[in-house]
Amino acid sequence: MTIPFSLYAPRESGLHKLHPLTKLALAGFVALCALVLPRAASYLLFLLLIVPLALWGRVFGRLMSAALRVALPFAISLLIIQGLFWQTGPILARVGPISIKLDGILFAVSTIGRILAILSSFVLLSLTTRPDALMLALSQRGLPDVIAYIILTTLQIIPRFQSKAQTIIDAQRSRGLETEGGLLHRIRALLPLVVPLVLSSIVDIEERAIALEARAFSHPGTKTSLFDLSDSLPERIFRWSLLAIALIIVVVRILTLRSA
Amino acid sequence: MIDVQNLSFSYAGFPGMALRGITLAMPKGQLCSIVGPNGAGKSTLCYALSGFIPHFYRGVLKGTVRVSGLDVAESSLGELAGAVGIVVQNPFNQITGARFTVFEEVAFGLENLGVPRDEIISRVAESLALTGLDSMHDQSPFALSGGQQQRLAIAAMIAMRPAVLILDEPTSQLDPIGTREVFGVLRRLAADQHTTIVLVEHKLEWVAAYSDRVIAIVRGQIVADGTARDVLTSDLIEEIGVGSTRLTRAARLARAQKLVDSQAALPVTLVQTIDFFEQKDR
Repeated sequence: MTIPFSLYAPRESGLHKLHPLTKLALAGFVALCALVLPRAASYLLFLLLIVPLALWGRVFGRLMSAALRVALPFAISLLIIQGLFWQTGPILARVGPISIKLDGILFAVSTIGRILAILSSFVLLSLTTRPDALMLALSQRGLPDVIAYIILTTLQIIPRFQSKAQTIIDAQRSRGLETEGGLLHRIRALLPLVVPLVLSSIVDIEERAIALEARAFSHPGTKTSLFDLSDSLPERIFRWSLLAIALIIVVVRILTLRSA
Repeated sequence: MIDVQNLSFSYAGFPGMALRGITLAMPKGQLCSIVGPNGAGKSTLCYALSGFIPHFYRGVLKGTVRVSGLDVAESSLGELAGAVGIVVQNPFNQITGARFTVFEEVAFGLENLGVPRDEIISRVAESLALTGLDSMHDQSPFALSGGQQQRLAIAAMIAMRPAVLILDEPTSQLDPIGTREVFGVLRRLAADQHTTIVLVEHKLEWVAAYSDRVIAIVRGQIVADGTARDVLTSDLIEEIGVGSTRLTRAARLARAQKLVDSQAALPVTLVQTIDFFEQKDR
């Protein structure tokens, strides 16, 4: 089974077996800490929380490659821009009129840590949690079914939409539509592609709405679930403790900032 | 099970009546096929029986439709969903997209109905086995072929065990083997679970072999109603453009050429045809 637009990596691990809300709470906790605590703490969060969790979930390699792919462009541009344009502080190196400032580099490095911590916490969540399990957990906590449906179906419909667009392009080209050439030509070719795509999608939506109703989507009464999302007392306690710690961190941080 | 009284309907924004004065009763466990030319109102009747008319498609509705004890116009689609199942024409658009595997897709309707987990699992496995999809339970529903998606749509409805099942051209994408499987499943549902089945179908040989009853519709009106043999061999059915089975045509030709006794009733199934040519009266 593959889930489009999802990083989910099926593994037999304790992290995978945790309740989705526990993992969501962890990701949220890491993100909050990274935002609230001094920037340099982000590296500690990454090393002491995310790396061990990723190893536990047996997705360390996947996490690093996904996180680096996204974070690296940010890191490079941050280093260049902050290093070159920082106004004050000691100069690390000078090349002609360009000077690299130490403080700028430090700022960039700490910001990269923040990005890395926040990004990798949510990548770790997606790697170890099926999107439908997460949506189920959230709807059991009061998220409207319609919103859960929209999120899940979007994952699946977009690839179908792309393949339909390709079918229409092929069909129109076989009827002699020129889709290549100059800019004006391409813009003119857009209309015969967009109109059938939009119209047929509207028809699809109508039929899919019927299909949903036929599957008792708006049936009154409580729904059940094929998945057994096992939640345990220790996990509940853990989530509440995370929330409590997060609150304490925020309060302490506000107080220390005031007194500073 | 199904009780329709003087039903008329016209779609909002379209002139003319889609259904005119339909009165119809169907007992439990009957497999009734609807035939008729394109635009006769077959799909409209399907929607009216399942509540999508008047709840989804707006228009002017007259008369009453009662299905498994519910007044369709008075009940919400959510209430009707457990009682009436519908499989519509385009198999691709009947995949909800809410679930990632074939197994979960079939389970989706049962989850919405609040069926306990153990029962969901056994019912889904059963309907996947019935429709020959059990080997694909772990695949993405979107990765299936048209015919497999069509069987998936049927499996999803069977699993919900509605008292009334309405199918609008459920075999349009199926090859003869798939068609036979689907008709076999429908026959078994009617016999074993006493499901009332309304089937819109163009494949007349299959209709003739499996239906308890055949209704012909033209321009929104019922023009013939009876056994497959009565309805499908009538001159009327040729006139309205539905045509006849190959078996009926062969027998008609044989009679025209005076190869057989002209008194025998025209056949619609293979067994009847053999008897017809052997000039036996069953």
